[in-house]
Amino acid sequence: MMELVAANWWLFVIALIIGIAIAWWIFVANRKTRVVSTRPDVLEEGSAPAQRNQALIDAPTASAATAPTAPAPTPAPAPAPAATGDDLKRIKGVGPKLEKLLQSLGVTTYAEIAGWSEADIDRIDAQLGNFAGRIRRDNWPEQARFLAAGDEAGFKAKFGAV
Amino acid sequence: MPIWLELLVLLLLTFAGGLALGWALWGRSPARGIEE
Repeated sequence: MMELVAANWWLFVIALIIGIAIAWWIFVANRKTRVVSTRPDVLEEGSAPAQRNQALIDAPTASAATAPTAPAPTPAPAPAPAATGDDLKRIKGVGPKLEKLLQSLGVTTYAEIAGWSEADIDRIDAQLGNFAGRIRRDNWPEQARFLAAGDEAGFKAKFGAV
Repeated sequence: MPIWLELLVLLLLTFAGGLALGWALWGRSPARGIEE
């Protein structure tokens, strides 16, 4: 066998080179097309899908969408916040736990909640943990506007008994 | 076993060895598919 190899060594060199060349073509030269065809990593998708999902979560439910829209309350000038803060539990959807959480975030008055912009809502909502989404679902800013203005009748008409 | 068949088998083995060498050099890299 050794004589066979010695007599045809150049054939073996060629076979080896061809093998290496094909492997190089498969693993190096052909790499780009295979990488292009792979699914992009979820981390490379950016925040757009997450924002879209959050928008779907925040979207009003079907019952809320079909509910008759009450006349928008005239944004009354917020009274000076009480030194001790308001009873945030009067806002529908806010319980003792959420009230504590809000107070820990520095939110203590109706006027603050009534004055939240969309960005504020997003910022606070992100810190509510398991309660995320409640602000828009229960429409805290509008509730707070009634409560801050002391409009008990309006609040009752729109959100039920306090 | 005819001598040409023996030569052919040895050549195929050498060819497979070349493929294995190329795989070890470029195909085994964990970076493949992540870079670019």
